[in-house]
Amino acid sequence: MTDIRLEAISKHYGAVRAADSVDLAVAQGEFVTILGPSGSGKTTLLSLIAGLSQPSAGRILIGGRDVTASPPQQRNVGLVFQSYALFPHMSVFDNVAFPLRVRNTTADVVGDRVMAALELVQLHGMAQRRPAQLSGGQQQRVALARAFVFEPDILLLDEPLGALDRKLREELQVELKQLQRRLGVTTILVTHDQEEALSLSDRVMVLDGGQVQQIAAPQEAYLRPANRFVADFLGIANFIALPDGREAVVRPERIRLEASGGRDAIVAEAVYLGQIIRYHLTAGEDKFVAAAPFVGRPHAIGDHVSLTWDAADVWPVA
Amino acid sequence: MAKPIAERRQGVGFITPLLVLMLAAFNLPILYMLTLGFWSKEGGFTFEHYAQLLDTPIYLRVLANTMRVSLVATLVNVAIGYPLAYWMRGLSPRAQFIAVSLVIVPFWISILVRTYAWIVVLGNNGMVNRLLLWSGMVDTPVSFLYNELGVMIGMANVLLPFLVLPLFAAMLRIDDRLMQAAASMGAPNHTIFLKVFLPLTLPALAAGTLLVFILCLGFYVTPAILGGGKVTMISNLLDILINQIPRWEQASAVSTLLLIVTLAIFAGYRALDRKVGT
Amino acid sequence: MESKMQRRTLMRTAAALPLVSLLRPATARAEVKEIRMIEAGGKSGESIEKGYGDPFTAKTGIKLVRESPAPLGKLRAMVESGKITATLFELGSGTMVHAKSLGLIEKLDWAAINPNPMFPEARNEYGFGYQYYSTGMAWQKGTKPLRSWADFFNTKDFPGKRAIPDYVGSAVPFALLADGVPVDKLFPLDIDRALKKLLSIRKDISVVWKAGAQAPQLLNDGEVQYAIAWSGRIVEEPKLVFNFNGAMADLAFICMIKGSPKEEQAAAAKLYHEMSVAKNQARAAEVVAYTGPSPDLDALLPKDKLFMYPTAKVNKDVQWVQNAEYWAEHGEEGNKKWETFKLSL
Repeated sequence: MTDIRLEAISKHYGAVRAADSVDLAVAQGEFVTILGPSGSGKTTLLSLIAGLSQPSAGRILIGGRDVTASPPQQRNVGLVFQSYALFPHMSVFDNVAFPLRVRNTTADVVGDRVMAALELVQLHGMAQRRPAQLSGGQQQRVALARAFVFEPDILLLDEPLGALDRKLREELQVELKQLQRRLGVTTILVTHDQEEALSLSDRVMVLDGGQVQQIAAPQEAYLRPANRFVADFLGIANFIALPDGREAVVRPERIRLEASGGRDAIVAEAVYLGQIIRYHLTAGEDKFVAAAPFVGRPHAIGDHVSLTWDAADVWPVA
Repeated sequence: MAKPIAERRQGVGFITPLLVLMLAAFNLPILYMLTLGFWSKEGGFTFEHYAQLLDTPIYLRVLANTMRVSLVATLVNVAIGYPLAYWMRGLSPRAQFIAVSLVIVPFWISILVRTYAWIVVLGNNGMVNRLLLWSGMVDTPVSFLYNELGVMIGMANVLLPFLVLPLFAAMLRIDDRLMQAAASMGAPNHTIFLKVFLPLTLPALAAGTLLVFILCLGFYVTPAILGGGKVTMISNLLDILINQIPRWEQASAVSTLLLIVTLAIFAGYRALDRKVGT
Repeated sequence: MESKMQRRTLMRTAAALPLVSLLRPATARAEVKEIRMIEAGGKSGESIEKGYGDPFTAKTGIKLVRESPAPLGKLRAMVESGKITATLFELGSGTMVHAKSLGLIEKLDWAAINPNPMFPEARNEYGFGYQYYSTGMAWQKGTKPLRSWADFFNTKDFPGKRAIPDYVGSAVPFALLADGVPVDKLFPLDIDRALKKLLSIRKDISVVWKAGAQAPQLLNDGEVQYAIAWSGRIVEEPKLVFNFNGAMADLAFICMIKGSPKEEQAAAAKLYHEMSVAKNQARAAEVVAYTGPSPDLDALLPKDKLFMYPTAKVNKDVQWVQNAEYWAEHGEEGNKKWETFKLSL
């Protein structure tokens, strides 16, 4: 169990800067998510940490040791891909045993630890199956077991749940979080799914165009985004102009729909989302999104309402 | 997945003309050829041609020689083809395109022309020998041709695409992340190759090797020219039995034996494949 | 190239089959427009067209259509299947005797042919010996010349690689000559003794050639120093020498395919007559340095080129003649021994 430090890491492909002077410090046992749209450089960053590619500039330290030039074999990193990357010609057991066997672990120990790992991911009955005989969720569990069975210092997860359907994804998110807490392993997750990032991580790092936009706890990044990009990328943002000319963000659930006393608006659309209703509103040139609990009689399309919010819920972003 | 029986039957209806054509155009002549070996001159059934086959050691010796030359040529092909395909996999897409083209180009050139081209390259007065003599590395020309070495070189050149192309295609299908995952788990490069990469290419390698071996068995021109006529293959013998003597009954018996041996090898491959596959 | 030619032949044959069988009754008494000949191909085939086909067509209006190559297996397939697609077939002397015993060729009507004078061995009951060729030793100018077959097998005094034909009948008699057997005692051949003699120079036999063009190529490229070769392939090569001394003369025959239409056979007799005309033979020899069977031919050939021709008096006298009957009888046995011998090379 170790900490990770990235110091001014850059990776250039010709003129493209996939990572541009990125600094990041991950504490031991911490769960950090790298979040960004596709092409933001998050997977590049992950493969730099894993040692699959070499940075153009900067240093990478794992547990205080400079591993910038080390091959992946010497980094003791558990890696999970969105595509699982299970060895198709091996059984589930042999897949999970692979990292132990390359370390010349005795057969007894291999057996015990593989079965323990499979038990942790609830697959102990499937040891002799081939990956192709498993469902997507089961395959991803095997990949997870294989990544942590050799007690790596770090777990790197590249969109591990991206290929799964929504219900399974939510289930596995919970499992993953519990597993990580139980193992206490330093974990970096890469995803473009902001909900996943917010629900799993101790901290998130928002990335855009290879540059760090913000590193903060999920609530912090959501409520106090460092800039307009973060505000827009994490959840839904209403942008308003402050009297001093600066721009500020108000989250939908902080906006109240009242009879008067605020900004006049017309309900353009009402979307039922179960516990809440999301209203799309027009106020002259401006558009707003508000979220209200689904209690009592909802507003109908065309209703004239007045939008209000507390000054404390307004966060300037520029 | 299972289609209604009626629909499946309709499918059979569509391919029936093709089946009949295949049967008439390919299988009937083969069947005729096979039965020829059991006809006596007087028009009755006989084993005499097979008895003669076993009584004439030269037929079996040539068959054994054909097997041996084919086996060695196939191994040479694998020894060259596998690293070549592996190297091509690592190239940029542009370089891959060029490499594949270079592998395929010989396909478009007559086998006879290619075979004679080797004489220009590897003959006593060929480019390679002149270079060797000029550089002082040898005093007398090296005999690349008119021996089994020449046959191996020629056959490898002709057959390489048959091995490299399926192998390269199979290698391209292997996800890089498998090797990356293995590396992150601490596997040294040679372990990654032996435990992950190689096993995943084995089915294509086995199929390609079998294809090359069976093609080798039927080689005629290359051994005749580059072997200096001294490396006798079963096709050369069949040519004599069919065209020169002509003893078709004996040729049929020899062909049947060759067919049986080939099928036995194929059956062995299938059995092995099924064993590995499960 | 060979396979392409064969394929084309096959396709043409396949396409022609139904037509021929349908039209035959109607055309049976009609005029013959063309006759077909299957021959060895290459320059030899060209010489047939220039020397004999052209004057034949000029006189009769009947075209001569050529097709090659002419392996015995093709003739057997044609006769046994009853699908006769040609009238004439070129065969070697030994092969002709073999084809006769298999019943694949017709007797010739020499009265109808009414030939000009010709050497007696060329006037065979079953074939017209139209072309003499010699098999002998050859080398590149500047190489130490061989005087006898003993020299060819003496690799100590005449060092260098050897090329020999992959035809048992064109290789083993020379080994016996080298081993001291006199020409008149050659046949019946002691094949085992001959192969033993050949094995004694095993290390120096570099190539066993199948195609006639290989020998001059190997000599010109310096791949081998001495070769047993066909005269016509060597004598016109400026850098090469052919020695007729002790060489073997042989005859190629044009035969009539068993069961070919009678009216076409009758037309072929006129072609045979043209083949006996010395002037025509001289024209054929211009294309390839093999000569026809006319005793009057020498006078019509260019004096400076007489040394090239197998039938020129100077050459004919120092050669001996292949024994076709022997090979017709012992061909298969000889081939088996030959293939065994090649495995020991």
